Parts: sequence; C-alpha cells; structure tokens
Amino acid sequence: MNIQDNYQKNKKNIFFSENKDIQTYREKLINIFENDRFDKKNNESLKNINLKNFFDFKYKYLISEETSVINNNQENSYSIVSVNGQCLSYKDDKIEITKILDEDYIDFSKNDIIENNDHFVNLNSLFLNSGFKILIKKNNNIKIKISNIITDDDLTIFQKNNYICEEGSSLNLIEEYENKNNSTSNILNVIKLEKNSQLNHFLIQDNSSNHNLIITTHSSVKKDSTYTQKVYNFSEGYVRNFHYSELKEANSEADLQGIFFLKDNNTSNNKTYVKHLAEDCKSNQVYKGILNDRSKATYFSNTHVDQVAQKTEGYQLSKGILLSDNASYFSKPELKIYADDVKCSHGSTIGPIDENAIFYLRSRGMSKIAATKILISSFINEELSSIDNEQMSEIIQKKLVRYLSKVK
Amino acid sequence: MNSDTLNTLNSYSINKYKYGFVTEIDDEKPKKGLNEDTIKFISLKKNEPEWMLDWRLKAYSKWKKMKEPKWANLSFPEIDYQDIYYYSAPKGFEKKPKDLSEVDPKLIETYNKLGIPLEEQKVLAGVAVDVVFDSVSVATTYKGELEKLGIIFCSIGEAIQKHPDLIKKYLGSVIPPGDHSFSALNSAVFTDGSFVYIPEGVKCPMELSTYFRINAENTGQFERTLIIADKGSYVSYLEGCTAPKRDDNQLHAANVELIALEGAEIKYSTVQNWYPGDEDGRGGIYNFVTKRGLCAGKNSKISWTQVETGSAITWKYPSCILKGDNSIGEFYSVAITNNFQQADTGTKMTHIGKNTKSKIISKGISLGKSQNTYRGEVSFLRKADKARNYTQCDSLLVGNQCGAHTVPYIDSKNNTAVIEHEASTSKINEDQLYYCRQRGLSHEEAVSLIVNGFCKQVLQELPMEFAVEAQKLVSISLEGSVG
Repeated sequence: MNIQDNYQKNKKNIFFSENKDIQTYREKLINIFENDRFDKKNNESLKNINLKNFFDFKYKYLISEETSVINNNQENSYSIVSVNGQCLSYKDDKIEITKILDEDYIDFSKNDIIENNDHFVNLNSLFLNSGFKILIKKNNNIKIKISNIITDDDLTIFQKNNYICEEGSSLNLIEEYENKNNSTSNILNVIKLEKNSQLNHFLIQDNSSNHNLIITTHSSVKKDSTYTQKVYNFSEGYVRNFHYSELKEANSEADLQGIFFLKDNNTSNNKTYVKHLAEDCKSNQVYKGILNDRSKATYFSNTHVDQVAQKTEGYQLSKGILLSDNASYFSKPELKIYADDVKCSHGSTIGPIDENAIFYLRSRGMSKIAATKILISSFINEELSSIDNEQMSEIIQKKLVRYLSKVK
Repeated sequence: MNSDTLNTLNSYSINKYKYGFVTEIDDEKPKKGLNEDTIKFISLKKNEPEWMLDWRLKAYSKWKKMKEPKWANLSFPEIDYQDIYYYSAPKGFEKKPKDLSEVDPKLIETYNKLGIPLEEQKVLAGVAVDVVFDSVSVATTYKGELEKLGIIFCSIGEAIQKHPDLIKKYLGSVIPPGDHSFSALNSAVFTDGSFVYIPEGVKCPMELSTYFRINAENTGQFERTLIIADKGSYVSYLEGCTAPKRDDNQLHAANVELIALEGAEIKYSTVQNWYPGDEDGRGGIYNFVTKRGLCAGKNSKISWTQVETGSAITWKYPSCILKGDNSIGEFYSVAITNNFQQADTGTKMTHIGKNTKSKIISKGISLGKSQNTYRGEVSFLRKADKARNYTQCDSLLVGNQCGAHTVPYIDSKNNTAVIEHEASTSKINEDQLYYCRQRGLSHEEAVSLIVNGFCKQVLQELPMEFAVEAQKLVSISLEGSVG
C-alpha cells in the first residue's frame, strides 16, 4: 500500500491528525514521498535496505490491554515498562512523565539538524502513534531503566520520545529493546540538555530476526553539558542507528559510541553526526563492528565545525572486522570544517583478525576458534570495560558470549 | 592566530598570477555552441577518418541525455555549453610544422615566457615536450630519438591518422564516453592532446611532457591523453597547464586514460596552474578533469602525482582500477586553494585483483575564502584477496574564513583485505612558527617553510624537473596570503 493511502486510511489512530499546522506539515512530507525516486545510490539513509519492507507496509497499531508500569523502587531510581511505545503519566518532585503533546511535535517539525532526505524520520513524523516525554527537574541525579515491550505481531510502532534534562541535573538512562515478535519500531528520541547537565544514554538492542528497529536520536547540548551515548547492538534483525548531536553552547561535549555484532543475513546501518556550533566543544564518535556470514553494515560519521566554533576537538574512529568472505562493510568518515583553530581527525580500518596475533595464540596451544574469540573480545574490550554499571556489564558479557558461541 | 599573522595574511591578499598574459595571434574558430555541425567541423579540421566522427557523434548523443554530476562540494553558476568556442587554432595550422623553425615565432616566445624554451630544454633537460596551444598540438620535440626505441609520442590527432589500430582498441576503454557528462562532452569535442605508446620491454629514457595553454577567449579546452605501456615497459609523463587572466570563466574538460599491461609502470605527474580568478573570485578556469588508469596486467603499477594550485574550480579524481593481480596504485596530491577557489579533488582506488596494493597521500591547504575538499573512494571487491590500502589525508587551514573537508568512502567486501585510513585537520602550529621566527625567519618565510614541509611527502614524488617548479609554485600560491 502506498504511503498516501496508508495515511488517509489510518488517520484516526495517528496522533495529532486534527491539528491544522501538523496537517499541512504532513502534507508536505507526503509530497516528498510522492516525488522522491528513492535513489539508493545517492541517499545514504537508504543504502543496503529493502525498500519494499519499509515504505510499502501494512499499518497496524493497537493500544494494548497490558498497561505500562512505573516503579520507583530505590531512591532516585526508576524502572519503566513501556508497552507498544506508550507509557503512563507520573509525577513527583524529581521527574515528570507525560504523554507526548502537540507542542513537542511542532517543535520538532521546525528542527533543522535532521536532514530532509531522511525518509525514516519523515515516516515517523507522518504516522506518529505513540511516545512519551520525560522531564528531569533541576539539580536531580536520576537513574531510569526503560524496557520496551511490543505485545502483538505485525505492529508498526511510530514512537517519539522527548527527554529534557533541566539545569544541573544528571540522568543515567538505560533502554532495552528485546522483542521477539514480527513487528517494526520506528523511534525518534529528542533530547535536550540544559546548562551544566549530563546524560549517559545506554541502548541495548537484542531483537529477534523478524523484528526491525529504527532508532534516530537528536540531542541538543547546551553550555557545560555532556551527552554520552553507548549503543550495543546484538540484534538478529535489521537495526538502524542514526544519531545526531548539536553542540549549541560553549564547553559542551558529545560522545557517540557503538558496537554492533552481525551474523547470517543481517544488515545494520549506522550514522553519527556532530555539529559544532560554539567554541571549546569536544566530540567523539567511535563505532566498532564485527561482521560474520553474509552480513552487511554501513557506518557514516560526520563532524561539522561551524565558523564560530574555534578550539574544537572532534575525533572519529571506525573499525570493522570481517569474519567471513561474504560480509561487507562500508564506512564514510566525513569532516566538514569551516573554522581554523581546530583539532579534528578520523581513522578508519577494515580488515580480518590479525593473523600474527592468531599465530601467537596458537603457538601457545590455543585452538583457532578459541584464539579468534579471544581476539574479538579484546577488540571491543575498551568499550566493555568502560561500563561502570555492574549489572549492565554482566548483561552485555552474556550477550557477547552468546554471539561468540556461533563464531566458527 | 595572532594579529601579526593576520596582518601578513592581509598584506599579501593580492595574488600574483604571472602567467596571465595573452598572446596576440590570429586564430581560427568555428561558430560558438555545441551541435553536430561543430563536431563535424572539428573532425574535418583534424582530417579524421569516418569511424572517428561516428565515435564522436555517438558520444554527443549520449551527452545530450546526461546531466552534470552534482554531488561535489562546489557551487558555480550553470555552464552555458552554447556560449563556448569548441575549437581554436592559431592560423596556418592545417599543416603541422615539421620542425621548430616553421613554428610562429610569437608562439615560441609565449612558451619562453612560460619557462619552457623548447630549444634550450632539448639540450639541457633532455625532456621531450608536446605543447598544446588552445586546441592544437604545436610542436613535439625529441621525436626522432624516441622513434628509434619504437616509442610513439605524438598528438592524439596524429595518432588517429597513423595508428588507428591502437586508438580503436584503447580509446574510451578506461573512461567510456557514457561514464558521466564531462567524459561524454570530451569524447564528442576533444581537439588535441598527447598519445604515448611504449613498446614491450622499453624503459623510456627521458621524461615525456605536455604543456597545455588556453589562450583564446571563451574557448574551452578539451584535450584527450592516452598512454599505453606495453608489457614490462616504463614511462614517466609530466603535464603542466596555464591560461591568461580573463574575467570570464573558461571551461576545461580533459580526459586522460592510462593503460598499464603486465609488468608495466606509468608515472603521471601534473602541475596544474590554470588561472584561478582574481581576489574577488572573478574569472578563472573551471577544471573538470577525468583521469583514470587501468592496471590491466599482473604486477603493473600506476602512480599519480598532482600539484593543484590553479583553477577557480577543480573537479578532479585521478583513479586506478587495479585489475591485474599484484598491481599497485598510488596517488599523491597537494591541493592549495586561495581567495575564492574551490577544489573537490581526490581519488578512487578499485581493487579487483588479488594482492593489489594502493596508497593515497593527500595534502590540502586552504587559504583566504576558499573551500578545499578531499573526496576519495577505496573499494575492495569480492575477489581482491589480501589487498591492502593505506590512506592519509591531512588538511591545513590558514585564516578563519576558509573550509577544509574530508569525504572518504570506504567499502570492503573481502575479509582478507586490509584498509587503513587516517585524516587530520589543523591550523599551522604556533610552536613551529615561533621556533622558526626565533631563528630569524620572517613570518612569510616561516609559513612558507612549514607549508613546504607539510607537502614534502608529495613533492618528493615528483620528477626532478617538476619538483623545483612545484616548490616555487607552492610558495607563489601562498604569496596570495602568507608568503
């Protein structure tokens, strides 16, 4: 079914279809879809994907009878279960959770960082059917764990979450995506960090092969604030991680990291983009991938330094290991620099596991498989050992062992 | 950057382009514009056989259906292809002069001004030069001696007449006319250029070189160069370019094809110094060049070295297709942009054969209000076992109004291939500057020294004759802003 019909038919259970401003905006988007030729070659957001799966889909959304749960089990620590992208409202003196509102949505349509040719974000805007907003109040130090649950098969979830960290606050956010049913989630996270705030954002992705996950993050970071994101992708299904960050005021920092483990026919598309709009900002983009069997991955990284953003430090690193001769990896580390007093660099490597290292381990009596496994673990050790949450570190170790058990 | 540096920058912001003179010489042109008649005119003037005209017309019909590639990081007004002369020749060139004494003395004088005294160079440097003036190859020196070794070095027009077999076999085999709109345009209207054939096992004893010059107004230069190195041979080829100062933009769309057969090696060096436009960004050459080499045989090697200092717009990606096993591709580049110049340049290494190796060293320097982009693609195809690539691209920014961009594309489909890529962007190190000044160098000298050091890795790859010229050129280009 084409996008226009799909939208008209399901208008009823799409958010804000009554609002006039939003309606005109959506008409524009429909126009973009109608006129675009979906040029895979020149549109990096479409590389390696099966267009039919994502743009010719059957829309289905249910509000589940299972309700979401919010627990405040320890002080400053919350756990949330979101069902089909929805979440209950909640309020205390530290945080506030509400449903997503019209204003949040309009706010987004004016956004300029997310490029117009990102069709998945446009799809999300068009079919929005769930989402919530979490506000961390001033000077609070909060931990939140969100488990995302999808109840039925064939659901198409278009979710938008807003996170706002007020001045001086700090948030440790863990998001888990572990879905086993045949459905598609298209999630857009919009994150705002006010002055002197901090957000550590962990995303653990471990879906079954019939689940497609599309996550886009847009974070804007203000003075003296830091946004750190770590993505661990163990999914057997398609995952798309596109993360954009805007450093709006001086002395802010963005750190976007990711590791992905692919096997079988799986595909993963990754992108990070940091825009430096003020001076004395730092950014770091590091992605590592391990590709087995016939898997494919792309990674686009981009550092954009505006003319006013002097004294910028921006680093990028992309590393890929190909375990099989049918796997393929495409990387495009881009630098766009308009200021002169900067230190920017990128490095990118793709290759097999170092044969000399294997030889060294084998000469000490290890089997080839054991040696390979040790070297894979050491390849990502830096990222794993930097996790300061013990519980999470354990979860990730377990998933890593599971992945390694399939390596031959 | 301290105020001292800024002052020096400003005081030197008038660029001195010393090749900007015009030679007053009668020339012959067809009507402006591109249509089948223009192509027939060119073909007739060149006295070409029927099959060549057909080839051109086919390319023209392809060009009509094509659009210019738009992905580059360049902005320029739409090119009006109907407002260009596609052929311009000094009068009296229907018959090629047999030796230098028949060449118009004014032309000889032009080349003397450019610093290539044909007569002298013959004796001193031992370089064989093919000089292309607008659209016609003027003189080829040293021809006789090369002929003794079986080397063919002549204009492409002559090659079409005398060596049709080689032309039919290789022309367009590396850059198909339908590859993109500029290659189609060039294939339809190319006027002259050089042709080199090195026979089996011959090591060319001297550097072959071509000097290109655009003289006439509103002319486009479309040269086509074809170099074939047969089994086990070696050739080093140099290319230089200049143009007079004019307020209009002129189009230059060249195609260069290299073919290295088994065990052959081709070294291609370019010093591109087309008129870059004045300090307000008026005028200058639009340089849309397609250069591609094919390592067809085992153990072959192609090496590109370029120093890009001129042109208002540079759109140039010398590439290597590494088809033969164990073949090697190299790319060394220095690109300097000043004032309003825009450069989008880089390379493409396609690894097809086993054990193929490639190396990319690119240095970009942006000054004034210019934009300098490195764009390169390295791809390993399925069968490229044990292939290797090393890429390094560094950018230097001088002044806070310019931009330096790096856009590499890296694609690996083979799990035994290894690719390493690194890039960095920074300004001139204040510590180094301080150190040099402390030892008594003036500010300009210090900057020039540091920039030359930054480029050294590339400049040392140039043949002797060019290395000196290139170093001077780097200093002259910097004169526009630092010295």
